[in-house]
Amino acid sequence: MDNLTFIREAFSKFYNENIDRIEVPKSIGSREFGFTMFREGVMVRHKGFINPEDLKEFIKKNVPSNVYYSAAYYSVPEAKMDEKGWLGSDLFFDIDADHIPTKCDKKHDTWTCRGCGFKGRGEAPEKCPSCSGESFDEKTWLCEVCLETARNETIKLVDMLMDDLGFSPKEIKCSFSGHRGYHVQVESEYILNLDSNARKEIVDYVTGTGIDAVFHGLEEIGDGKTVFLAGPSLNDAGWRGRAARGVYEFLLTATDIDLKKLGLKKKVVERILANRDEILASWKVNGPWNMIEGLGLEGWRKIINYGVTFQSAKIDTVVTSDVHRLIRLPGTLHGKTGLLKISFPISRIEDFDPLREALAFKSGEVEVYVDEAPAFRLGDDVFGPFEKQKAVLPLSAVILLLCKNAARVIDQHV
Amino acid sequence: MNSAENMEGERILTLSDLVKYPFMPEAADEVRRLDFRIEHLLNPDYEPVLERAEKRIIEALTTNPPEVSYNPHEYSEYVEILSFPAAIVLAAALANDYVKRRYALAEARRAYGFLRTEKEDKIINIAGRFGWRIRALNMQISFTKFDFALNFIDYLKNATLFHEKEWKMVNRLVHGGEVYLSKQDVARLLQEEVRRYIESKINLSVSSKIPEGVLERVEDLKRICSEKIKEAPPEQISSSVIDDAFPPCMRELYSAIKAGRHVSHAGRFALTSFLLNVGMEPEAIIDLFRKSPDFNERIARYQIEHIAGEKGSRTRYTPPKCDTLRTHGLCLGADNLCGRVRHPLTYYLRRAKSFRVGEEERIDEIKEG
Ligand code: SF4
Ligand SMILES: [Zn+2]
Ligand SMILES: [Zn+2]
Repeated sequence: MDNLTFIREAFSKFYNENIDRIEVPKSIGSREFGFTMFREGVMVRHKGFINPEDLKEFIKKNVPSNVYYSAAYYSVPEAKMDEKGWLGSDLFFDIDADHIPTKCDKKHDTWTCRGCGFKGRGEAPEKCPSCSGESFDEKTWLCEVCLETARNETIKLVDMLMDDLGFSPKEIKCSFSGHRGYHVQVESEYILNLDSNARKEIVDYVTGTGIDAVFHGLEEIGDGKTVFLAGPSLNDAGWRGRAARGVYEFLLTATDIDLKKLGLKKKVVERILANRDEILASWKVNGPWNMIEGLGLEGWRKIINYGVTFQSAKIDTVVTSDVHRLIRLPGTLHGKTGLLKISFPISRIEDFDPLREALAFKSGEVEVYVDEAPAFRLGDDVFGPFEKQKAVLPLSAVILLLCKNAARVIDQHV
Repeated sequence: MNSAENMEGERILTLSDLVKYPFMPEAADEVRRLDFRIEHLLNPDYEPVLERAEKRIIEALTTNPPEVSYNPHEYSEYVEILSFPAAIVLAAALANDYVKRRYALAEARRAYGFLRTEKEDKIINIAGRFGWRIRALNMQISFTKFDFALNFIDYLKNATLFHEKEWKMVNRLVHGGEVYLSKQDVARLLQEEVRRYIESKINLSVSSKIPEGVLERVEDLKRICSEKIKEAPPEQISSSVIDDAFPPCMRELYSAIKAGRHVSHAGRFALTSFLLNVGMEPEAIIDLFRKSPDFNERIARYQIEHIAGEKGSRTRYTPPKCDTLRTHGLCLGADNLCGRVRHPLTYYLRRAKSFRVGEEERIDEIKEG
């Protein structure tokens, strides 16, 4: 049996037994649905369902490889894009390890140049070092470091949505995407009508884009003769406090290379490093703004603007400002992993274990031949690394390897 | 209880406040209480009102930056208050987009001048008129003073139109869903809200109520204005296209695009095909779309040429009919002519004809006179 048939059968069985795990979106009749199919590999869009049962029947019958729905509400969801009649849209955020620098450097990912076949590890370069081609086949892998990084960004985002933008925990829905990240969705009637410019402002807010310390308390105070600097404090609200905490975090570990990169003078960098402890202690009083000789408003401005990157949430910016976006439906399987997109209350964000709770296939063992795969964990078990070898593995691990095109089935019984 | 009264039943906005903020509903109440109707403008007793109304518009066109004057000694409070709705009617009858925007801006800037130093409770009262969720604060953080906290969505509605760095929300103190602002900032945001509100009031449905006698005054005013408009930077889209003859739906889409506001795909398609059909050059349309936040010259050019029938298909698209526009929520079908047409192009052709005829008639009149 070929891989696709095997995966499709497993998906089919899952949906037949677990169709009620699907989280039917609010106002289902106003949403557009989209699906990708195993064989055709094309996206079927502009689907509409009046009631949950029709949607569930459709999924059981067609067994799509991916199921999406619109964050937007339309008067005619089945119509062509121009004729749908946009009524509003939830506020949606996508945090994906693909868009975030991670400590693992994505060494588990590989890319192959479509032009000359040149191969490499990590994120694909902009241009092929061998032939300057710009198109690559990329193989990504599921990695705990990547997932942890995405979780941290999600925590920062949710924090801003609650503390700064004032949304209540009830209005915020978090979910694991089923692959390398998290989704955060705000459902509130107030934000429905926000146009894409307003959404873009929210994007800039949570990513700290365009921020300038001089609007957050950094200023020169004085009469010309005696001038001193004032700046934000750790406990200030909004970006003021975040900016201060970002600087704190940055200076805690900053090396002289980090500081020189900001364009600070050698002497100043030396003084900062020599006074690190005093600087950190100064936050309890008036902050470090007047401690370092030769470091004035412009220097601090650079440090703060950089410190902001420690506090900003690295979301996929295009997704949020697109008011027509399709997003994965919670309770459905991800075609690249066989893991569930699964929602959880924001109170669980710290301890939610995606590689345990998103497992969809819980029984059965299958023998596969694995080409190559790094070690990975699912639930309590660690598998691999594998290199051109046979292995008998639980179904969830098998589906993951097959979805990633890293293995093929030997035994055909599920 | 009237919204202009507080718990003690005492008015928050006095008559002299309504002179400053004539767009407030209390001013409209006052107009109603005085039983003032547009026909009264022909009555010699109301001559000062008509005169002041004309002056409001002329001031808007002659000052730079535009601002309507405030001189409490020159006109009585009633003349001031009544002349505002009268000026709206005149501005609508002038049926010129430039006059409309300029006048709305001039009134809004006048209001800003007062709001900057207005008392907190009055500002909250006025902001409430526009549905703002706002409260007064008396807060100082380090060296910055904050006077108000405004719901961030109400903030975004107005601030996204400003492009200075300081108006980016990320450069504001935002906490618990509110943006912390100085009085000056709130006044500036309110100016924007007032401007849009007044613009929305100046529409053809208002002008349809004008009595004959007043129309003569409008014609005079048109002549005065046309000189002023000529001095202004050219805004007319092309000599043969009469944008004053646009139906409300296209007028709205057109000004949204011009202001760089977001317009749906359906809206863009409708507007583009409409403009092409009334004879606007593709090049001019591309320029028009240049202000859009997501403008991409290559894509815009392709789409416009596609609709024009130059690329890909041979057929030129006609704009959608009123029915279709209605289902997209793009129909503003507010005026009389709208009720008699089923297609925005029909609307345009009829109105444009009456414009051209109108000009000829006027020339005849002058010859005879
Ligand atoms: S009735 Fe037709 S022309 Fe008038 S606004 Fe509606 S769509 Fe436009
Ligand atoms: Zn290559
Ligand atoms: Zn990783």
